[in-house]
Amino acid sequence: MRKPGPVERTIRLALIALAVLWSGFPVFLVVLSSFKPPREIFAVPPAFIFTPTLQNYASLWEEWPSFFGNLLNSLIVTLGATILTIVVSTLAAYVYSRYRSKLLTVSAFFMLFVRMIPPIIVTVPLFPAINMMNLNDTHFVLIVLYATFFVSLSTWILKAFIDAIPREIEEAAIMDGAKTFDIVWRVILPLSVHGIVAASIFVFVFSWNEFIFALIFTTRNAKTAPLVISEILGTVEGVDWGILFAAASIQLIPIVVFVIVVQRYVIAGLTSGAVKS
Amino acid sequence: MYRLRLTHYLMIAPVQLMLIGVIFIPALYLIWLSLTDYTYGVDPNFVGLDNYIFIFTDPVFWRSVVNTLIVVNAVVFGELVIGLGLAVLMAGWVPGKRIVISMLLMPYAITEVTAVVMWRFMLEPDVGMIQWALTNIGMSEISWAINRWDALFVISLLSIWLSLPFTFLILYSAVTTVPKDLSEAAVVDGANRFQNFLYVTLPTITPAILVALMFRYIFALRLFSEVWLLTEGGPARLTEVLAVYLYRHGFRYQEFGVAAAAGWILTILSLITASYYLYQLYKRMFRDA
Repeated sequence: MRKPGPVERTIRLALIALAVLWSGFPVFLVVLSSFKPPREIFAVPPAFIFTPTLQNYASLWEEWPSFFGNLLNSLIVTLGATILTIVVSTLAAYVYSRYRSKLLTVSAFFMLFVRMIPPIIVTVPLFPAINMMNLNDTHFVLIVLYATFFVSLSTWILKAFIDAIPREIEEAAIMDGAKTFDIVWRVILPLSVHGIVAASIFVFVFSWNEFIFALIFTTRNAKTAPLVISEILGTVEGVDWGILFAAASIQLIPIVVFVIVVQRYVIAGLTSGAVKS
Repeated sequence: MYRLRLTHYLMIAPVQLMLIGVIFIPALYLIWLSLTDYTYGVDPNFVGLDNYIFIFTDPVFWRSVVNTLIVVNAVVFGELVIGLGLAVLMAGWVPGKRIVISMLLMPYAITEVTAVVMWRFMLEPDVGMIQWALTNIGMSEISWAINRWDALFVISLLSIWLSLPFTFLILYSAVTTVPKDLSEAAVVDGANRFQNFLYVTLPTITPAILVALMFRYIFALRLFSEVWLLTEGGPARLTEVLAVYLYRHGFRYQEFGVAAAAGWILTILSLITASYYLYQLYKRMFRDA
């Protein structure tokens, strides 16, 4: 990249600083404020130098002891939805990549078509059905719901990655009479690790952060962390911002670090899944 | 060599069954529900178009349509303009590019709940730091808790903050694929930077822009959490959007019939938005088949 002259460099740096401030400052502010003594949180002008304290985290532990169980629920649901999505999408993606038929084309089109339906509408018919089956407030319901809304995108991303695997590699195995399942398991899977990572990120981040389905389908046992954060925010007798920031920080730090670490896969997944389809 | 067998249909079955069972059949069942007076513990009775008549004569519904259209357009075009500027900026000289992109990506990892927490904290009446800064430079506070337009403004701001990474990344990867020799040729021919953008970059990335626009319209129409967590559609249901209207009637008033009708309207809006894209997709897929 050509290095521009001093004037342009200054303008560029200013604009970049502005953009970074816009996206990073609110996150930084929440994490920073979670370490402030409660009295200093709303100090004007905002204080950036203070003696850090874990007081808010201690209060969270005392006043919302269930929060840590809810974090565990989030983890169970997120891992469950990610694994389910990847298993079923890999199987389908292999077939869509290697085979052609009218029925396959119709079903592939159907898969992309269904993606356009807004998720919230299924809550109305599913709510009574799930109650009737006594599945309300279970991890299972959230896992299936989250996975279903991501199988289309994941299949598409994985198909793009499997398309790039040369057929010669598996053709030898087919000649030797290997079963399709063995080919997927022993040949395709090890070669599409990058695709699997790219496809996992989207359902993983979504499930960890999801709010509407959790609001409607969980009440106690399967309640996830974002729902509890919304309850702390909605406290009628005045919001305790310190506790709120502590809970929000615990929920967001791992996922932000994760997204930064896998950033190049986010870009690869978006370009193969959203644009090229 | 690649003979399609029953095994292969069984391999696509789980994906297809999930889509059919969890989304497609419920969506069809929604049509039937929208024609009934279904509520808790009572069997649905057929009521014809009563729910639709109720909705179409309900001023709150029309206000939620107007609110949805305002916010969706503000968000989609706001993102497009900022995202495009950012994409062009990032495609040039940037020190520590990977780190800067990480920072720009951060909002993607944040739940809507925490995004509302952040912005409400900065915009809390009397004490929030944005309010403090506004009063200090002699402007009035943003009264999102009582003023409809201020609330819609904050909701749009929040939504742009949350989904700018998506729009930015799609446009950024499009901008980086513009062939170098094309812009170099333009520069040799005496094009300045703006002309280069207008006549070389823009035409090349138009397909990416259209795809980004379509997806953002579809996703923005689903807007729910930001509104529900910030204002619950209030005060006096002034800031409701379509999804909040659906949720309130379904899960607060237990009027599943009305909620179903609203849901069906939301679905049709989404499908109309996607229709051109789906049509192109259909033509391409079935030509190859």
